[in-house]
Amino acid sequence: MTTALQQAGDMRQPLGTPAALLMRGIGKSFDGKAALRDASFCLEWGEVHAIVGENGAGKSTLMNVAAGVYVADGGDQSIDGEAISLRSPLEAAAAGLGMVHQHFRLVESFTVAENVLLGFGRKAAVKTLTDAAAIVSAKSSEIGLPVDPHKLVANLSIAERQRAEIIKVMLLGARILVMDEPTAVLTDEEARTLLSFAQRLSRQGHAVVLITHKFREVAAFCDRVTIMRHGETVLEGARVANVTEAEVARLMVGDALTVAGRPLSRPGDVCLSVERLSARATAHGQSLNDLGFELHVGEILGIAGVGGNGQEELVACLLGLDRAGAGAIVLDGQDISTAKPDQRREAGLRVIPSDRFDSGLIRELSIADNLALTTVASGSFGGPFLLSRRAMREKAAEAIDAFDIRGATPERPASLLSGGNAQKVLLARELDHGLKVLIAHSPSRGLDMKAAEFVRSAIRRAVEAGAACLLISEDLQEVMSLSHRVAVMNRGRIAGCRQTGDVTPEWIGGLLAGHA
Amino acid sequence: MLDTAFLVRRQNPGFLLTSLSYVGGLLVGLTVSAVLLVHAGVPASALVDEFLIATFLTSDGLSQTATAALPLVLVGLASGVAMRVRFWNIGVEGQLWLGAIASTWVALNGSGPEVLRLPTMFVLAALAGAAWIAIPLFLKLKWGVNEVISTLLLGSVAFLLVQHLLFGVWRDPSNSFPVTATFPEASWFLVLGWGQLHAGIFLVAVIALSIWFVMEHSRVGFYADAVGFNAKAALATGLPVLSIAVGLVLLSGALSGVAGMMIVAGTEHRLNQSVGNGYLFSAIVIAYLARAKPLWVVVISFALGAVFTAGNVLKVFYSISEAMIVLMQGAVLMSILMAQFFSSYSLKRPKN
Ligand SMILES: Nc1ncnc2c1ncn2[C@@H]1O[C@H](COP(=O)(O)OP(=O)(O)O)[C@@H](O)[C@H]1O
Ligand SMILES: [Mg+2]
Repeated sequence: MTTALQQAGDMRQPLGTPAALLMRGIGKSFDGKAALRDASFCLEWGEVHAIVGENGAGKSTLMNVAAGVYVADGGDQSIDGEAISLRSPLEAAAAGLGMVHQHFRLVESFTVAENVLLGFGRKAAVKTLTDAAAIVSAKSSEIGLPVDPHKLVANLSIAERQRAEIIKVMLLGARILVMDEPTAVLTDEEARTLLSFAQRLSRQGHAVVLITHKFREVAAFCDRVTIMRHGETVLEGARVANVTEAEVARLMVGDALTVAGRPLSRPGDVCLSVERLSARATAHGQSLNDLGFELHVGEILGIAGVGGNGQEELVACLLGLDRAGAGAIVLDGQDISTAKPDQRREAGLRVIPSDRFDSGLIRELSIADNLALTTVASGSFGGPFLLSRRAMREKAAEAIDAFDIRGATPERPASLLSGGNAQKVLLARELDHGLKVLIAHSPSRGLDMKAAEFVRSAIRRAVEAGAACLLISEDLQEVMSLSHRVAVMNRGRIAGCRQTGDVTPEWIGGLLAGHA
Repeated sequence: MLDTAFLVRRQNPGFLLTSLSYVGGLLVGLTVSAVLLVHAGVPASALVDEFLIATFLTSDGLSQTATAALPLVLVGLASGVAMRVRFWNIGVEGQLWLGAIASTWVALNGSGPEVLRLPTMFVLAALAGAAWIAIPLFLKLKWGVNEVISTLLLGSVAFLLVQHLLFGVWRDPSNSFPVTATFPEASWFLVLGWGQLHAGIFLVAVIALSIWFVMEHSRVGFYADAVGFNAKAALATGLPVLSIAVGLVLLSGALSGVAGMMIVAGTEHRLNQSVGNGYLFSAIVIAYLARAKPLWVVVISFALGAVFTAGNVLKVFYSISEAMIVLMQGAVLMSILMAQFFSSYSLKRPKN
């Protein structure tokens, strides 16, 4: 696929000096699953370089390799023209590369100065807290990011923590600064401040890598952009001036929009309607603002969106885990917005949570116990008080057969199952006779192809049998292939909704990047 | 060399490995205890005599062991039921004191038919224990106050309350020690005629069996495990998380309270400053070693009762101090817990 774009990338001016960071043919697998295949990246001194891509594209992994957090399985890497193989973040820091991670790495019970001192280690020249505080203050005013060195990290706001992290990395000698989705947690104003800092830094001759989902930021603050998809670099280092948002959106999403396979059923009456839903954010999350949608019998409504835009909060509200929010949730004509989780289940709500061992299955309990969790209350295992373990085991044995759950016996703890088989246990429990509305949140995340297909076809069959499904997923291909309609979630709202046939890459890319 | 090895959690330690490590830990703990005793001046030959023969093979020893085990079973169950829902009740002694106070109050001021005296003591002791744990429970649910600290500190408060009463209104004027007067016999558990063993054993048997039944064969125990392992998933799957947790925690306090009644009505027949001493630690030891399983609580309580019996003998004949008995309990607990580490983890060397 050579396009005008890629030529634009290759045609950049040779600057004469060696690249700040050069990565070629980088591969990295986790548990046999490739996160990076033959990825490459080239960063010049004096630029802000954006890396964009869908969730799971491998952006963080690539930069973690660059920063010595992960050791690559293969490929070459050089910093400022010198080939290196890093084995730890300390070695990266020594080579002048520092990374501010998506999830901050400061010790919360220490002050900023103490964290910096900790980062220096034993051999550094700075040995006392007073010195550390002094250089933090000096650096802070030098680069224009205010931070109080004596404040406890636990008492800092998100933006302050980020600034502290940046100062720490700079003090450790970083001339290449990598920031992993730094603006995802910031307000617009804070983001602008941070990005203009990045620009200033690059003008002083440093090099900055900025991982982001927002094309707006790329266009306004970055010099070049690299696009990743499925662990590969699909566009390497194009000048931002030479690309359009639509092109970036298409390259990010790839051929995801061409796959088909949605349920054969035709959507009928409304069975779940959500109106003006608002809820507060969970830790590091996104609050819901006036969110609304309707779901019909026999329909899959796909909700696409970058993770952290309120998906977790939406599921918690629908499930009844967070009942503090405002708004109406009507299931089959019955307002369930103040009902408890068990009452919602009774009304026909079922859920496949994004993290199955967080709020779906219980690791330590046996498979039979996990399968029975939701039905013991109805008295189906031995009446209103007693519990018949034998009945539970028999029921479990049936489910293991019906869903072909490998490696399972009723008595084995759920923790011993592989991801795909654990997901089958969840499906066996949730896709029961009482199912009316299924909330499926990233139902095939982390599964191999075969298991993912099993999960999808199970959902498809349930919907064809008369249920409805709200499919919340960061995997665009999954959303596009299963849904009758596609909605996009952004900053706690539904930013847009269309029939799947009318979805264009530009439309969805624009909404995903928060530009609508 | 060791810094190049790392620990890997075993996925599914088998029954054999688990039992072997348990028994191994027990043996190590007993050996350590034996060494301690010999070091403190007990002749090695006497160990076998006192421990095995005097405590298990004589009628006197057995009845003493059984009597000592009764309150131990109750506090072990108390600690265990709370543990099942991951509530760390470190205030067993406080609730026990409250139960003892409540039953003493009934015994000293009791009026009405004498047959109702013991049942009233039982009910009030249970309520008092439950009320005492209700405070930290409320603090935890309302403001997230850590129950380890609040239950522990309320234990000291309860003890101060006992002292306040014993040095004040309840002090027996005819006694130079701070103790209450001896209870009227209507508030004694019937002595069965085998050593000190009393009718409280029937009450303990009924309680232990009921709790075993509820925790192992009813949905309560099933829910409790789900709540204890993963409260969020339990909530998401529609289980009554709050009522299960609150119910079992209150039950824990009530059981401790009844243990207090068991002691004052069963063996002491009065309230004094030492009836509750040491039960907190024993309760934790028992619940841990029994892994919060009710029937194992009974078994281990009897084993610990035997340690107390042997300890009493040692105290009398070799002037071993009370602290030595606590030390021995500690040695056994620590070595079993350390042995569990080996059944949960394996040591691996990196490949290159
Ligand atoms: N430590 C890890 N263990 C296992 N899998 C991982 C790990 N880190 C990343 N992955 C997997 O690698 C892929 C790329 O992830 P990541 O680099 O975090 O994507 P991005 O930052 O672009 O969203 C994903 O499929 C993710 O599940
Ligand atoms: Mg990432």
